[in-house]
Amino acid sequence: MTAVSASDAHVPPDIVSSVFYSASVSDSLALLVAETSGRTQRFSWANHGAVQLLGYGLEDLCAMPVEQLFPTLGGGELKLLLRRERSARRTLHVRTASGALVEAGVLTTPSPGGRRWTVLLRSTANEQERALRATADAHERRFSALTERSPVPTLLSEQGMRLAHVNDAFCGLVGRGAEQMLGTGWIDTVHTDDLDAVIEQVSAALDGGEVEVQARLVRVDGTVRTTVIRFAHLFTPGVGAGFVATIEDITERLAFEARLAHQAHHDPLTELPNRTLLAHYVAERFRPGTGGLACLFLDLDNFKVVNDSLGHTAGDELLVEVANRLRATVRPGDLVARFGGDEFVVVCEQVDEDAVVALAERIAEALSRPLRLGGVDVRPHASVGVTVQTADHVAAEELIRDCDIAMYQAKAGGKGRISVLDQAGRAEARDKLRMVTELRNAIDNRELSLLYQPIFATTDRTPVAVESLARWQHPDRGAISPTVFVPLAEESGLIAGLGLFVLDETCRQLAEWDRLMGAAAPRQANVNVSALQLDANLPAQVAAALERHGLPASRISIEITESALMKDPTSAQRVLQQLRDVGVELAIDDFGTGYSSLAYLRHLPVDCLKVDRSFVAELSGGHGEIASAVIALARNLNLCTVAEGVETAEQADELQRLGATYLQGFSLAEPMTGGHAAAWFATYGETAP
Amino acid sequence: MTVTPFPRAGLASVPAPAFDVEKVLASIDTMAAQKPVAAQLVSVANSEDASAKELARILASDVSLAGRVMKLANSAYFGMRGRVTSLQFAVTVVGFTTVRTMATVALTDLDDESRLPADFWDFSTHLALAASMLAPRFGERPQDALCLGLLAQLGAALLFHNDSEGYAEIVAAEPTFPGRRAAETRRYGLNSLRLTAVALEQWGFPQPMIAPLKHVDDYRAEEGALLRSSFEVAARLTTEDYDAVPIVRVSCGRLREDDVVPMLDAVRSDAVELRRAMLAD
Repeated sequence: MTAVSASDAHVPPDIVSSVFYSASVSDSLALLVAETSGRTQRFSWANHGAVQLLGYGLEDLCAMPVEQLFPTLGGGELKLLLRRERSARRTLHVRTASGALVEAGVLTTPSPGGRRWTVLLRSTANEQERALRATADAHERRFSALTERSPVPTLLSEQGMRLAHVNDAFCGLVGRGAEQMLGTGWIDTVHTDDLDAVIEQVSAALDGGEVEVQARLVRVDGTVRTTVIRFAHLFTPGVGAGFVATIEDITERLAFEARLAHQAHHDPLTELPNRTLLAHYVAERFRPGTGGLACLFLDLDNFKVVNDSLGHTAGDELLVEVANRLRATVRPGDLVARFGGDEFVVVCEQVDEDAVVALAERIAEALSRPLRLGGVDVRPHASVGVTVQTADHVAAEELIRDCDIAMYQAKAGGKGRISVLDQAGRAEARDKLRMVTELRNAIDNRELSLLYQPIFATTDRTPVAVESLARWQHPDRGAISPTVFVPLAEESGLIAGLGLFVLDETCRQLAEWDRLMGAAAPRQANVNVSALQLDANLPAQVAAALERHGLPASRISIEITESALMKDPTSAQRVLQQLRDVGVELAIDDFGTGYSSLAYLRHLPVDCLKVDRSFVAELSGGHGEIASAVIALARNLNLCTVAEGVETAEQADELQRLGATYLQGFSLAEPMTGGHAAAWFATYGETAP
Repeated sequence: MTVTPFPRAGLASVPAPAFDVEKVLASIDTMAAQKPVAAQLVSVANSEDASAKELARILASDVSLAGRVMKLANSAYFGMRGRVTSLQFAVTVVGFTTVRTMATVALTDLDDESRLPADFWDFSTHLALAASMLAPRFGERPQDALCLGLLAQLGAALLFHNDSEGYAEIVAAEPTFPGRRAAETRRYGLNSLRLTAVALEQWGFPQPMIAPLKHVDDYRAEEGALLRSSFEVAARLTTEDYDAVPIVRVSCGRLREDDVVPMLDAVRSDAVELRRAMLAD
């Protein structure tokens, strides 16, 4: 700083004196003048403000050696304060009259000649500054208290990556003390692989951005926490840029999400991938028109037996063991999935048929090792279906479907087998699949038709009832036999729909006949029910159909095969009783072909036995023993009988002699449509004796 | 000022020159005139409304100084691992006070080791890093402590510039820093830290940064405790056969020996790199 020359010619003397006057009386400005006298410097003048600030009398002040006012100045330092050529600025302690030391900014300006200095004192500890500093300190304390106690891990930067402050929550998160992490120490807690990303975001934050990054932090015990670090820019005037970072520990959340994702794609019992994951897995690897993918479909034989006899816990244990053996047997890289129930699928890549069959054999062998379940040795066996991808496969799901089919073929061929789905097998299976679709459409569109075959009273050979028989006239395939489409419906879950159709259509026809023919209409219609329909829903469905068409229950007789009754006798008996309560009659179809015990038969609430056509046929060969026995048995149990498949007049006569109640057969009347039946019954009524 | 007296005689082989501290300060002004960029940085960085952009703009015209700021910003001390590629970002990373410190170093020729007392930067970098690491314990900003540590011995360098022979003799005769300072006071009328304080004040460095320089030798003064403790740590790391003073004593009871041990390695390893960043290529 250069002193403004007081003798500057451009400043008029009256202005100089005016400035001097204001300076001398000012009490906000402490001004002194020091002069060299001999070897020492002493003050020679002071203004009002200096007297006020320092508390000395003007006389005392005006003789005082300069170093007495600045007692902290060392020997050589006075020269640095009172420099001859230039002004000097220091912050020094000033001794006041009371003896106290007050800090003050000191500015000295030499006059030309270098023997006189103007000394300006500015107390640094003025009220306003103190207040400002106190406010700043309070802010600082509030901020540090806030972050210190905050449960959110927080970092405060000093410069670059260097930290000036970490709070307790961050220390707790990484398990280290604050001392270790200040400066660049905290960098050690950032996972090596994430450090670059963190530095990049710090750079962005220092540059003014608000950014976040997912980074792993390594605790002192070596465990890893996954976090999101959010950086905010901080700017301190005169100092530079920094950042505040808050850290959210998302380890638990990620683990939870991973657990959910795992659960969505894995079977909780065996920990194997489930059907969903299997589908994704195969779809990801499936390239149409190439080969190399292969699937094995395994179904445990007799799993139901284990479940039923040893309990579900043992069943679960078996499944877990099978899963373990599968995992241990497949090649590295193969996928083992639980398809459902006791079904498993293995997917292999880069294999040919021989290799897959070899694997299937290894699996069969591994599975067959005995296993102790509930105190019993069990040897698990599986039927295995194998498919290798061919050019014919256009979609991933076809691969799994084909090995499923192969598995059914293996099962059909006897348990514990391995079956490879070949071209013919695939064609056959596809044809069957197509037919299932067509059957479903036929049922939905009521394209199936019913034929009605009259049933006659043996004694007077008058028609008393009809049996409803479903027929399927396929537009391309022609007539399809019930022996084909009924089992198909049973396998593919269509039997309920088919059964309901037959029931409803029969009731409708009866009601129509009643309307057309009045008393001449058939009195009763027999409706066949599959074993799979024989459940708790059936009685209500029957009642609903009767009600829908305004028929009394006695107009319907439900025919159930003997073998259907034997599948689950207890349940069957319950359902029959409920049907009986509805009021319909009940007949056992194909009687004598199953193995029902007579004792059991006694307890079934049935009205009628149907003598199987095979026994009727034997009559012609002179072997009427079984037919005779069945009819006698029915009579003794007070049941009526219907002889099926009566082909000749001789058979009819013989059956009459044996005491059969009703007759049914081609020789008597063929199955006919509803319209024909109406005409037939009308004609019969007119011509009847 | 309280100076711990170390009455030693026999430093009179080189006669005390007609030593004028004012001349020493005047020599700084001459230096400043020769290094306008550094001088401008020293004055601009002090201003509250300085921006990294403005500092980088000025810094860019002194290639050597700019290179050193870049080197420093990418040093292990700031943890940026080579990510600092622009000068403006380098200024942001190291902070304004550090830029100013670097400029002061350039201004006073401290970047030329041939003109400095022996082991000047070896000691100053250890001192600066020790101060930076200990700063949080004393409620101080590590960055300011680092800068003060780097510049603390500026006075010694100025004394050496003006009286190399005499000063070398003091250094040779007085292995400890307090002893050296007492000898400086005897020979020059003030010690090197006071001279540093005068110079920094003259350039308008903030008071809180300067104040500790005046209190280093008063063991009762808490204001000087951080710098005093840092001198102790740096001396232990750089002086052979050093007779350690208990850290609890120099730190006004703020530190125990256990606190010091873990930081020694970090100080030692960062010091090498920091020294490289401070020197001209």
